Amino acid sequence: MKTFGIRLVTLVLVISGIFLSCQDEISTTYTYRTMMPIYLEMSDVRARMISVSPPQPLDNPGKIYIYGDYLLINEPQEGIHILDNSNPANPINKSFIPIQGNVDMAINDNKLYADSYVDLLVFDISAINNIKLINRVKDVFTHLYSHDTGVVVTLKDSVVTVDSESWLTDRGFFLANSSASFASNFSEASKSYGQGGSMARFTLMSDHLYAVDQTSLKVFDVKNPSEPSFLKNINLGWGIETIFPFQEKLFIGSNRGMHIYDAKNPSAPTKMSVYEHVLACDPVVVNEEHAFVTLRSGNFCFNGVNELQIIDIKNPYSPKLKKAYPMLNPHGLGLAGDYLYLAEGTHGLKSFKVNDVMTIDQNQLEFLQSMKSVDLIPGPKSLIVIGPEGVCQFDYSVPNKLKKLSCIDVKNPVVVK
Amino acid sequence: MKVILLILVIYLLFISTGYGQDKVYYNQTEVGALFGKGQELWNGEHDSRLGFSLITFHGAKISKYHVVGFSLGFDQYESISIIPFALGWRGFLGKENRPQLIGGLDFGGGSAILEKKENTEWYESWYEGGLMYSPSIGVKLPAKKGKTSLTLTIAYKSQKAGYFQGFFDQGLTPRPLTNSNLPPGYNSITETFYQFHSLVARIGLAF
Repeated sequence: MKTFGIRLVTLVLVISGIFLSCQDEISTTYTYRTMMPIYLEMSDVRARMISVSPPQPLDNPGKIYIYGDYLLINEPQEGIHILDNSNPANPINKSFIPIQGNVDMAINDNKLYADSYVDLLVFDISAINNIKLINRVKDVFTHLYSHDTGVVVTLKDSVVTVDSESWLTDRGFFLANSSASFASNFSEASKSYGQGGSMARFTLMSDHLYAVDQTSLKVFDVKNPSEPSFLKNINLGWGIETIFPFQEKLFIGSNRGMHIYDAKNPSAPTKMSVYEHVLACDPVVVNEEHAFVTLRSGNFCFNGVNELQIIDIKNPYSPKLKKAYPMLNPHGLGLAGDYLYLAEGTHGLKSFKVNDVMTIDQNQLEFLQSMKSVDLIPGPKSLIVIGPEGVCQFDYSVPNKLKKLSCIDVKNPVVVK
Repeated sequence: MKVILLILVIYLLFISTGYGQDKVYYNQTEVGALFGKGQELWNGEHDSRLGFSLITFHGAKISKYHVVGFSLGFDQYESISIIPFALGWRGFLGKENRPQLIGGLDFGGGSAILEKKENTEWYESWYEGGLMYSPSIGVKLPAKKGKTSLTLTIAYKSQKAGYFQGFFDQGLTPRPLTNSNLPPGYNSITETFYQFHSLVARIGLAF
């Protein structure tokens, strides 16, 4: 019994000894998406030759532009893909124009306007197999300059992992989270979709090119298509997102409302009115009498509302909310004559007949729940729908019966929750 | 995992019935406390950690001095509750019906199934369990009458666990980045990995 006791005590001591040398180990890693600043000398960027290269797979497509039989698809910050879309059931990737810092484009009379950081470039695309850079208007998008030094600050969407001691975790957590910083506005702007689609930033009307950045509207005269000249800068306030031209008016969507500008004198648009509402991100499409605006919850512009709003704009000086319809999670929208197509995010794609705006809810034509989508463009040949499957095209010649034609694969499709 | 354990126990119970008249089933159920030492704080000191611990071991005698089986329990580590489950062994030293030394080893995992998952429009968070092993040593003091014994056990217990908090991408059009170690749809994720080293003191009954 005595030896038993000694054994027991020894073992307890040994185990306790091993134990006492130990402490809990806690390690924390924080992986976050953020915008890393990159500094570039504009002179270096300009010195680089731009020559059209062989087709490249779509990685993270931005704006989509329909030009005759061709689709031009922006790869944010990288350049422009050119696809032959003469047969929408089988689009063919033809070539790629590498343009550093490009996020948007517009085409006027066979001239392609594209931004490259602070510059506006002009390409001659009359021969699609022989695209040439013919002009460069320097230093127009100057908001990208840091301290007017000729150095451009651009932000690269990156994922960073940091290790930290557990008691450090709470610090810097929200500071570093890009969705809570202004940087995310930039990332969203650079990723906004399609002109023709309702999330555009460049637009052409009456021989003038209008470009919106986060805070202002820039006007270029393009009467001579190859020689755009910068006319003026109009301040709009924060949170500008989209621009939609219609009948000598510009409808500019911001995250606080919709600005209406009179562009009868295209070189000097004047403000007619601002239709304000609660904070929301809202694409706009317009016909003669009404503007169609979507508000949705679940993004940075959270307001808890998912709605399609119909705004009476017969008197553009005094737009009035005519009717609002509850939606599930509306993103982009497109208007083709009397038909409205609406991307409902993860819920699918809806189509409506909207000749009577007071009864849109009773005139829903189709609700394709399998077709998750974030934006769409009603093109002359097909309805282009952007979603997790990539860039898809539908035959919509029978408006209430969409028929899928093709989908262009995208390496990094959007995630729709 | 649990199914495998169950099958194994049933199998062991089955083969061990071959040993004839001896009682085959062995149960040892104990409650006690987990003692631990937290990570070094900024001032070089450590917080001490104290939590409740429960273990119930069910086994089959495979020989006079050895029992194999499985254990299930409940452990409280600060704010994390873990259900440990393990394959186990108990060995006895000393004469039967006299005070015996018990050696034990449990090897398995811990589940964080009791912890609430949170899932909101903005983020989701959850706990995960992990590897657990625990060598133990104790005494078994049989009652004067009957088959029940009192047990006193001291054990070392290593338990891994993790806490994850992922914030969703709130962008207009969230997209994953290529070669990103961030799951699609997330804007950020905080992963906290715990390895708890505990000393466990327990008291219970065996029969």
